[in-house]
Amino acid sequence: MLQTPSRRHAVVSETRHLLFTVTPGAAWIIVFLVLPSIYLMAVAFMTNGPYGLPQLPLSLNSFEQLAGVGFLGWSPGNLYTLLRSLWQTVVATGLVVLVAYPIAYYITTCRARWRPIMLLLVVVPSWTNQVIRTFGWMNLLAPGTPLSNLAEMMGLISPNMGLYPSNFAVTLGLVYNFLPFMVLPLYAAFEKLDTAQVEAAQDLYAKPVRAFWHAVFPQTLPGLLAGVVLVAIPAFGMYVIPELLGGGKAMMLGNLVATQFSGGSNWPLGAAGAILMLIATFIGLFAMRRIGKRLGGGEEVVI
Amino acid sequence: MRKRTLKRSSLRRALTAFWWLTLIFLYLPLAVVVLFSFNAANSAARLTGFSLRWYHQLLGNEQIIEAFGNTLILAICSSVIALAIGCLIGYGMYRHRHRKLGWLIVLIYLPIVLPDIVFGISEMAFFVQFHRLTGLLQPGLGTMVIAHVTFQIPFVALIVYSRFVGLDPSLFEAAKDLYATPLKRVIHFMLPTLKPALISAFFLSFTLSVDDFVISFFTAGPESATLPIYIWSAIKKGVTPEINAIATLMIGAVALAAMISLVFNRQRKV
Repeated sequence: MLQTPSRRHAVVSETRHLLFTVTPGAAWIIVFLVLPSIYLMAVAFMTNGPYGLPQLPLSLNSFEQLAGVGFLGWSPGNLYTLLRSLWQTVVATGLVVLVAYPIAYYITTCRARWRPIMLLLVVVPSWTNQVIRTFGWMNLLAPGTPLSNLAEMMGLISPNMGLYPSNFAVTLGLVYNFLPFMVLPLYAAFEKLDTAQVEAAQDLYAKPVRAFWHAVFPQTLPGLLAGVVLVAIPAFGMYVIPELLGGGKAMMLGNLVATQFSGGSNWPLGAAGAILMLIATFIGLFAMRRIGKRLGGGEEVVI
Repeated sequence: MRKRTLKRSSLRRALTAFWWLTLIFLYLPLAVVVLFSFNAANSAARLTGFSLRWYHQLLGNEQIIEAFGNTLILAICSSVIALAIGCLIGYGMYRHRHRKLGWLIVLIYLPIVLPDIVFGISEMAFFVQFHRLTGLLQPGLGTMVIAHVTFQIPFVALIVYSRFVGLDPSLFEAAKDLYATPLKRVIHFMLPTLKPALISAFFLSFTLSVDDFVISFFTAGPESATLPIYIWSAIKKGVTPEINAIATLMIGAVALAAMISLVFNRQRKV
């Protein structure tokens, strides 16, 4: 069908409107984030120059270095860092789930007027600056503090070592940091819980454990998975917590990357690490979308 | 039903205990910082007595005052810019939501999903090279504002978008009939209806900016330390109780914000 001139005019003006509203923001993000990220990815394939700045020719040197190949042959340092990041992410995420699940459930069982306050109480600590929160844990876990003395008395650590710096302190810091990110989506899932299913299970004389696994747990799964992604992705790239609470012994990928851009001065190596982080991020997002689609719903919890 | 059967059962008592334990876990590190900020001795292990000397020292510390100023300038400038750009894009997303805007959604979520450290170093690498080539954009407050606006835009856009989606679409038609020019429509209809969303978007942007450390750290210049950056370098150099004092003030600001948000929530319900 032929478009009337006024109709075509309307389409044109709508498009102009779209461009007018969307262009500033889109251009800003493209210029100041997309292009820099693309440049960073390109850096990973360049050679390290004399001042740590990248230069041509293109090579895969940085990825070999990331795998541990150096001037003095192969060393496992970087590989340990990668494995440690993975391990810390898995352990911290697991612990966060273990703490957040009962907490989220407990909040839904309380009186409706208390629930927003309880949620606020869980979230407020994460409004304070990450550096300050981590500093608080440094104060708590340092040698000579009550917690460290207690651990010493129980024989968990050697004398005068303190609980920090250590891998344990990093795990604790991660759990502390990410707890609210898990409680919120789980709470949303519990809030929507269809109690009829639970009552049906009870009427059928299901034992509490069985009733939980078949009637409650599947319903909270979308919230749980959303929480896992919200926790695991940033935990994998965490910088502040391992830097302050790990004290060099507990480096994670984020520290490896950051060091190359500040002190270590090997941009290509740092960029290669960043690519690894990006891959992990996109795998996480993709997995969540897939699972979310299969379970139905769940996506609105995330976004 | 569920509530009644659970009441007074041992499971419920265990859950209550667990809830209080978790609260202690969440607030203990902050409490320790506050407590030691009033400590008379220069020690992180021993409390000796009450004193305000670290707060007095804060006032005399020019670096901290400057860092505080930088933090405010950065937060206000970036929030204002992000508010303007984010509003436009949020409205565009709403008005054209029937078109295929998948690429725009991806673009908007990118700053949110990108790990902080990748975000920070990409911008740093970009700014450093750009400065080398053109002499513009020297790392400092300017580059920090740019970086902060980049991660604030998505939040503003999403808040504004969700506010528009919650409105009755016929309102827009009515406004079109009432006010002839687009400018009048913006002033008399859009801005008033958006006011709550704009206020919360501004405060969220402001908080995100003050709260950010990693991205600021990598885009900062030598002269543009913010409070989190100052605290970070003070910790790295060796802990002084002054950090407790400045951290306590920042915790106090957050506590205040929490109270305000609580009061606001109450009012909205009544």
